[in-house]
Amino acid sequence: MISTKYTEKKKFNKQEIDRKWWEVGDYFRRNSLWLLMYCTGCCAIELPPSMTSAYDMERLGMGPMATPRQADILLVSGYLSLKTLRRLIYTYEQMSEPRYVVALGSCPINGGIYHDSHPVINQLDQYIPVDTYVAGCMPNPESVLNGFVDLMEGIKNKTANGWKKYHKNYDWYKKNQFDVLGEVVIDDEFHQ
Amino acid sequence: MKEMKLFLGPQHPGMHGNASVHLFVDGDIIKRSYLLPGMLHRGFEKQMERKLWVNNIALIPRVCVPEPDINEMAFALATEKLLKLDVPERAHWIRMIMLEFARISAHLMAYGGLGGPTGNYTLMYHAHIDRNLILDIFEKISGARIYHQYIVIGGVRKDLPEGIDEEINAYLNDLESRLNEYRDLGIDNPSVVKRIKDTIMLPEAVVWELGVTGIGMRSATNKPYDIRKVMPYARYNQVEFEVPISDYSDARSRLDIKIKEVQQSINIIRQCLDKMPEGEVRVKPSRGQSMRWTVPKGYVYAPVESSRGEFGYYMVSNGGTTPWRVGVRGASYPQGLLGIEKYLPGTRIDDAALWVDTMGICSPEIDR
Amino acid sequence: MNSISNLEAVDNIINSTGKVIKKEPISDFQVAYEVNKSDVHQILTSLKLEGWKQLSYLSAVDWPEENKFELVYILLNWDKPVYIQIRAKIDRENPSMNSIIPIFPGAKYYEREAHEFFGIAFPGNPDYKKQLIMEQWDDIPPLRKDFDPRAYSDRKYPSREYPDNFSKKDKENESLEKQAKRRKRARKLRTGGEE
Repeated sequence: MISTKYTEKKKFNKQEIDRKWWEVGDYFRRNSLWLLMYCTGCCAIELPPSMTSAYDMERLGMGPMATPRQADILLVSGYLSLKTLRRLIYTYEQMSEPRYVVALGSCPINGGIYHDSHPVINQLDQYIPVDTYVAGCMPNPESVLNGFVDLMEGIKNKTANGWKKYHKNYDWYKKNQFDVLGEVVIDDEFHQ
Repeated sequence: MKEMKLFLGPQHPGMHGNASVHLFVDGDIIKRSYLLPGMLHRGFEKQMERKLWVNNIALIPRVCVPEPDINEMAFALATEKLLKLDVPERAHWIRMIMLEFARISAHLMAYGGLGGPTGNYTLMYHAHIDRNLILDIFEKISGARIYHQYIVIGGVRKDLPEGIDEEINAYLNDLESRLNEYRDLGIDNPSVVKRIKDTIMLPEAVVWELGVTGIGMRSATNKPYDIRKVMPYARYNQVEFEVPISDYSDARSRLDIKIKEVQQSINIIRQCLDKMPEGEVRVKPSRGQSMRWTVPKGYVYAPVESSRGEFGYYMVSNGGTTPWRVGVRGASYPQGLLGIEKYLPGTRIDDAALWVDTMGICSPEIDR
Repeated sequence: MNSISNLEAVDNIINSTGKVIKKEPISDFQVAYEVNKSDVHQILTSLKLEGWKQLSYLSAVDWPEENKFELVYILLNWDKPVYIQIRAKIDRENPSMNSIIPIFPGAKYYEREAHEFFGIAFPGNPDYKKQLIMEQWDDIPPLRKDFDPRAYSDRKYPSREYPDNFSKKDKENESLEKQAKRRKRARKLRTGGEE
C-alpha cells in the first residue's frame, strides 16, 4: 500500500542540479560528436574512408564540421611540425567548450618515425591536453572508429576532461607553448 | 574598394591537405595570392641522410600520402641505377601493377575531391568507395592499406598472393563499367559544368614558364609528354597504351583526361596480368652484409610519372652506408607555389579551390 | 628519337659554350656535366635555346671536406628525351650564386628553398632571404652536414619518459658530437696518444 504520509520533496543544491544537467548533456553530446576537418598530417588519408560509405562514421552520430566554433573534437591526424602546432593551438582555443582532442598515429605520442627530426614535435600533450590516443602508423579505419568509441566511453565516465585540465594548468601549457614557438607575432610576406 | 585578406586553409573544407592559400581580394576577384607551404615539413631529406639504404624504404612512402608507391619506385630506380643492379623480369611487371593501381586511386581521389568545391558530394562518396576497394587489394598484396613498402631495392618484397588475378579482374571490370557514370556525375553534370568549363585556363606558354608537368602540360601542349612513353622505365615499353591529350586546357578538360587515364591504367593492368612471366621477384642488392651494405659513388636523377606529373629523386652517394644527399622533386612544386602566385590573380575566389584540385597539388611533397 | 645522337648534340652544345671539367654519362637518357661557376648561366641559356626548356630540379649538395657546396641544375627536353645535370661548385664560406630567374622563372622557389636549407645567397632573386618552409628558424641551415637534427630535437622538444628505458640508447650515444668524441678517444687509445 502506498504511503499517504507527506514527505517533503527532496531539494537539490546547485552542484547536484549542475551534475544532473551535465549527465543529460553528456548523453546527447557523446551521441552527436562533430569533428573539425583539419588534416594536420598523413593519418588524415584514412579519414575519407571512415567518413564515407565504406565505414560510415555517421552511424555513430559523427560527422565533419567546417568551423572550429561548432566542432566538438579536434582531430590531430599525425605528426605536427612547429608551423602546424601554432595553427593548431589557435584552432583549439577557438573551439567552444567542452572540447575533446583525439590524436591519431604514433607521432603525437612520442614522435614516432620522426622522433629525431628537427621540425616535428615529440609529444603533443605538453602543449594541449589529449583525451584519446589511437596508436599505429597509420591506424586503420577500424581503429580510428574504435578510438572514437573509446572517447564516447570516456565522456560517459567523465575521464575525457582534457579541457578542464587546460583551464587548471593553463600557465604550464602556455609556458610550454611559448618555449617551443617563441614570439606569437610573425612578420613575413605572408603576414603583412 | 579596399583590398581584403582571406585565408583559404589550412583548416578549410575545400583545401586538400595541410596548406594555406592567402588571397588578397577585391570583391570576389583575387588581386594577389600566395601559397604558404611548410606546415607538413618533416625534414625528410635530412632524415634520409641519416638512415641506412634499407631503412629508408620505411621512410620514403611518407613523402606523398595519396600516392605513396611512386616514391618507392623512384627511390628503388635511383638506387638500382647507382648499384647497376638488374631486377628480375617478374618484379618489373608486379611493380607496374602496383603503380597503375596507385595512379587509379590517386585519380579517383582527385576526381572525388571535385565534390568539395562544387558541392556535389555524391561524386565524392562514389569515388571514395571505389578507392577503398583498391586499398583492400593493396592490403591483400602487400599487407598494408596506405604505406605498402612493397617496391624495394632489387625487386618487390614478395610475390603476388594466389588468386589475386581474379579479384583484380573483377574489380577492373566493375570500375570500367561505371566510368560513364563518373562522367555523368562529374564533368558532364550540368550543375558542375558551369563551374568548371572555361575556368582556370592554362596556356602553353605558361606551362613552359612554370615548368608544369603531367596532366596540366599534356592538356595545354596537346602532345603526349609522359615519362612512361618518352623514357620508359620498368616494362612500359612492352605494353600498349595511349596518353590522353587535349588542345584546350580548362578545368573540365583536365578532369576529362583524368578519367581517360583511369581507362588506360585499367588496360595496362590487364596486359600486365596477361604478359607477366613466372620466376623470382627479388634479388639481394649485396652479398654478405644484410643491412650495412654500401653503394658506389655517383649522382643520379630518377624520374617517374606520377598522377600529377614528373616526380623524381635526386640521389648522391659517396660510397657510404647511407645516402649522402637525397633531393625530392615534388611533381606539384611549380603549379603549387609559382602557379598560385602568378596565375591565380584575376580569377575568382571559388576558382582557388578548383585550381588546387584540378592541377593536382599535393602539399606533403611540396613541404617534405 | 635516337638517344645516342641526342647525347652527342648535348655534348656539342656544352663544349661550344663553356669549359667542361668532368663529364659523366649516367644512362641513355641522362648525362652529367661538371662546369665552372662562371659558365653556368651561359650553358643554361644555350641549352634553353636548343630546346631544354624545362627546369626539373635545382638544389645543392654539401661537401664539408672539400669546403664546397655543389649546385645542381637538372634540365629536360621533352622532344629529345635527355636529362642534363649541370653541376658547379661554389665556396662554402659566404656562398653565393647569381640567380637564374631571367633564364628559368620557375627557379624562384627552388632558390628560396636552397637558401633556407643551405644558406646559399642568390643575388638577383628578389626575395630569396624570406623564409619559405620553416618559421622562425633559430639554428644553422638544417641540410648542412654539420647540423645534427637529433641534438636539436632533444634540446628543443621534451620527449616522453618511459618507466623503463627500453627504447632509448644510453645517453652517451645521443648526439653526433659525443659519438665523434668517443671515436676520437678510442683512436687515441689504439694509437697510443697520437692524433
